Amino acid sequence: MTFLSLLVFSPLLGIVLLMFVRKTDAKMIQWLGTAATVPPLILALFAFIQSGRGFRLEQLDEARDWVRLTDLPFLTDTAYVIRYELGIDGLSLVFIVLTAVLATLAAVASMLVKTEKKGFFLWLLALEIGMLGVFAAANFVWFFLFLEVTLVAMFFLVGKWGGFERERAAYGYLLYNGLGSALLLVVIAVLIARTGTANFALLHEMLHNPVAQGQWIAPLTEEGRRWLLGGLLLAFAVKLPAVPLHRWLIRVHVEAPPPVVMLHAGVLLKIAAYGMIRFGVGLFPDEFRAFAGAIAVFGVINVLYGALLALRQRELKHVLAYSSVSHMGVVLIGLGALNEAGIQGAVFQSVAHGLISALSFLLVGVLAHRMGTTDINRLGGLAKAMPLFSGYLLTAALALLGLPGMAGFVGEFTSFLGLFQTKPALAAAGALGLIFAAVYSLKAILDITFGRACDRQEAVVGWRDPQVSAASLGELQGGVVDLQAKEAVPAFILVALIVAVGVYPQLLAAPLDAVVETMMNGLGG
Amino acid sequence: MMNLAWIVPLFPLGSFILLLLFGQRWKQASAYVGIAATLLSLLLAFAVLVDRLGGSTYEANWTWMTLGDVTLTAGISVTALNAWMLVVVALVSWLVHVYSQGYMAGDERFSTFYAYLGLFTFAMLGLVLSPNLLQAYIFWELVGLGSFLLIGFYFYKEEAKAAAKKAFIMTRIGDVGFFIGMMLLFWQTNSFDYDDIFRAVGDGTLSPGMTMLAAILIFIGAIGKSGQFPLHTWLPDAMEGPTPVSALIHAATMVAAGVYLVAALFPLYEASHAAMMTVAAIGGVTAIFAATIGLVQTDIKRVLAYSTISQLGYMMLALGAGSYVAAIFHLTTHAFFKALLFLAAGSVIHAVHTQNIEEMGGLWRRLPWTAPLFLIGALSISGVPLFAGFFSKDEILAAAWTNGPRLLFWLAVAAALLTSFYMFRLFFLVFAGKARRHEDAHEAPASMVAPMLVLGVLSIASGYMQTPWFGSFLGEWLTDGTYHHEAAPGWIAVIATVVSLAGILLAWLMYGAQKMPRDWLSARVPYIDELLRRHYYIDDIYRFTVVALVSFISRLLAYVDRFLVEGLARLAAGIVGAAASAGSRGQNGQVQTYGAVTVSGLAILVVIFALTGGYWL
Repeated sequence: MTFLSLLVFSPLLGIVLLMFVRKTDAKMIQWLGTAATVPPLILALFAFIQSGRGFRLEQLDEARDWVRLTDLPFLTDTAYVIRYELGIDGLSLVFIVLTAVLATLAAVASMLVKTEKKGFFLWLLALEIGMLGVFAAANFVWFFLFLEVTLVAMFFLVGKWGGFERERAAYGYLLYNGLGSALLLVVIAVLIARTGTANFALLHEMLHNPVAQGQWIAPLTEEGRRWLLGGLLLAFAVKLPAVPLHRWLIRVHVEAPPPVVMLHAGVLLKIAAYGMIRFGVGLFPDEFRAFAGAIAVFGVINVLYGALLALRQRELKHVLAYSSVSHMGVVLIGLGALNEAGIQGAVFQSVAHGLISALSFLLVGVLAHRMGTTDINRLGGLAKAMPLFSGYLLTAALALLGLPGMAGFVGEFTSFLGLFQTKPALAAAGALGLIFAAVYSLKAILDITFGRACDRQEAVVGWRDPQVSAASLGELQGGVVDLQAKEAVPAFILVALIVAVGVYPQLLAAPLDAVVETMMNGLGG
Repeated sequence: MMNLAWIVPLFPLGSFILLLLFGQRWKQASAYVGIAATLLSLLLAFAVLVDRLGGSTYEANWTWMTLGDVTLTAGISVTALNAWMLVVVALVSWLVHVYSQGYMAGDERFSTFYAYLGLFTFAMLGLVLSPNLLQAYIFWELVGLGSFLLIGFYFYKEEAKAAAKKAFIMTRIGDVGFFIGMMLLFWQTNSFDYDDIFRAVGDGTLSPGMTMLAAILIFIGAIGKSGQFPLHTWLPDAMEGPTPVSALIHAATMVAAGVYLVAALFPLYEASHAAMMTVAAIGGVTAIFAATIGLVQTDIKRVLAYSTISQLGYMMLALGAGSYVAAIFHLTTHAFFKALLFLAAGSVIHAVHTQNIEEMGGLWRRLPWTAPLFLIGALSISGVPLFAGFFSKDEILAAAWTNGPRLLFWLAVAAALLTSFYMFRLFFLVFAGKARRHEDAHEAPASMVAPMLVLGVLSIASGYMQTPWFGSFLGEWLTDGTYHHEAAPGWIAVIATVVSLAGILLAWLMYGAQKMPRDWLSARVPYIDELLRRHYYIDDIYRFTVVALVSFISRLLAYVDRFLVEGLARLAAGIVGAAASAGSRGQNGQVQTYGAVTVSGLAILVVIFALTGGYWL
């Protein structure tokens, strides 16, 4: 069965085909680049629907021999064999579907990217392969390889197609995430050296099952496990990011082209959440317990710190960047709770934030394109000229502040529900973030859409986005164009998904149930 | 019919969705969609009520989300209270839908207005059908959304923008209290269901301390939504919304949701004396506090807004004094007469295009329908005998006398005096005297007058559901026959009548016959007058305390973020860079150096291996 390989590598076809397209044929590139993201989407949705009907996802597991690190005679046949292994469960599936959906929508939104389109789409598709691979990998080596693919792709996407400070942002991204990856690599290396395997299932077996302990090449002490988990958590804390490791995120949010941020905020940050759940809770449940309190505290700090800073920002991208910090705090809160509600909450929140930030940055892209600026001080009263756009922007703000009936509420509610069981006082402190979230989102969005109309000439003078081509600047001199159908469709899809998850969260809860239950058994709770 | 109750909220939801999609095309015809949808809701709500009158409570639940062994449900619950609220909400909403057709005619965003009304009505109907706290919370926030959208309907006005934002944020502050209280209750009782919570209260699973804490936290939510002191400041500003909205949301239904919530959770509150006292005290204080501010307002809608806050205070006082029935009774009569007053005010504004009562006058003859209907509303709210407000207010005063602290009773009596005074100040300034301006003012169209007529009738008739003379129909039914009328002394009704007539007389002396100077108060105690005009400086106090504190912390963190966190990151980057250049200096092509480094490295590894045996960690 090669279903998963097909799912992960199908954008490769688009990459190959794109090579043959002339650089100047923007229309063809846009069309082909978007079409290339469709096969993984179809396959992911197919798998999602099938698993909902009771299809067992383990049947999709695939493995091939890849490399053998050593051939020492006293070792068993399987030791130090790194295989090409893919495999998914309900948890990975949720993230794969999220990735596939957002990749297609980001590709559609990339129509606003005008320069070097071909290169842009090549990297975008490479990024998609990396993201899909991260969630589909069944061993640490491939997880890491795919993770590095995303790192490189993001580096170029930010560094080349970003705003004025794009290079600084790209290097910042590379530095932080590179350090995180290095740490991760050390942890992975130690694990492989001690156990002789990189396979998640086998590692899980060996770490939990006393009988399997015999297979260890060299056993791991309690303290050693704690160090490994600490390393893992720190590596993913950089990528989440947890305060005070968040500065790179702000720059990337601001400088990267909006379609890339859709994927960055939408999916890449979630890899950290996924990693913490899969490896942290999954592999080291007992040790995780010792860290849970600290994680919850960091979560609350993230929530409040991000929200309080978002209050002050007058650049829409900054507001959204700090709100990302705040929302990732909710993921930590869920993990810190370390119960069913909390862990599901962390996943819900990841998905919710993925959809919501994709929607926000889709609209940010349109705003930057139309008005030449996303500086809140230069904008105002847009609802008059762009009623449809403003409606969507307001919807995004409401989703951002966690309005019930939308996905964000489900994530926040479930995570907080988890923490209220274990640490009610801390959770109550974190709940204050709900107030600040309302303040910063409404303040930012209402200042853009409500009130007196801004002076458009002034807005145009303030333009700073190199992506705004001279042509669209010319467009600005005429009337402001409301959301076009091709922009409204992805926005509508995102809103529909946000509402669907918000109204009927069982949609997401069902595939997660079995995974979370297994983890809870690991926790012995 | 009760098993079909879940459909009641779906009609307005359908109206919302349809109008969002096609409203631009249907334009003025959008009104009919909204009116038809709410009429269907109303008819079905009536059917449910009739069914419930003879039957028992109906409840149905569906799975909403599973979290391990915990299953969260969504459902409907048709209790006596819920069935009653369903009809009140659907009725007022339908009347407002009809009225708006005339009031909003010609507005560019006519269909959007009806769409939002539909969304609000959906949420409000959903709220009163909720069988559990979580669902109540969800709809609770959604009604807030409807209110927010409609307050900010005239989005191009800076005031409307500020008011909408303020309304959402102030109520959110309360909602967080609700949220925390709900979560605490969940882990104590393992359920959000009202019934499970009441059972836990009954069998002592819930400790008295936790009962009190949860009840008070949830009450904070009610304080926010119902505009109680000290979270009331958004409600007067909410008058920026179109007047029919003020009638529906900020008078009759949403602001009463706080009262409804406490009523729905009544067994929880009854179990904690401290919680009951808190509810009563907040209610009593709010009743008199808002009434005093109402004395000096010059905007017709703001007078009514403060009056609403004050009346909601009465309802809270009733709940705190243990009289659930009196609170719901007053909620009902208030919904009718206050909606009437707002709609009549809307008709006045429609006619004269100003909201400043000092610019009005002499409209009695020009508005032959509106004026008498406003008078009915004013008489009802003032508690003049034979009008609905008299009976419900009397019930509350009786409850406050028998169960509440004496101080709160007297506060309520004083508030009743103020109420009739400011209402008739309003009445005389607007309708009596000579026409100051607006020679061309004319009566509103039939679509606006008809709903007011219905409310006018209800502002009298609804009082007779629960009277000391004919029987306590409402009370009997709401309590499933266990109701007993408080044996309150008869003089309370007399006092209530006297103070209400005294207030009217005073208003007549000052503003009708002008036998007393109007600046009677401001001339004698100018500072009190100033205090009232500035709404006790509550907004300013917030600005200089809470807002200032948050923005100080926020600024402080911005510096931390920019200098400390960024500085550390730079430092780390610098160390890496320094290490890199140090390392590259070693790569100078000297084989001796390479050899030395290699040997010392090997030596270090050997030492480590010797010390740990290769089993480090």
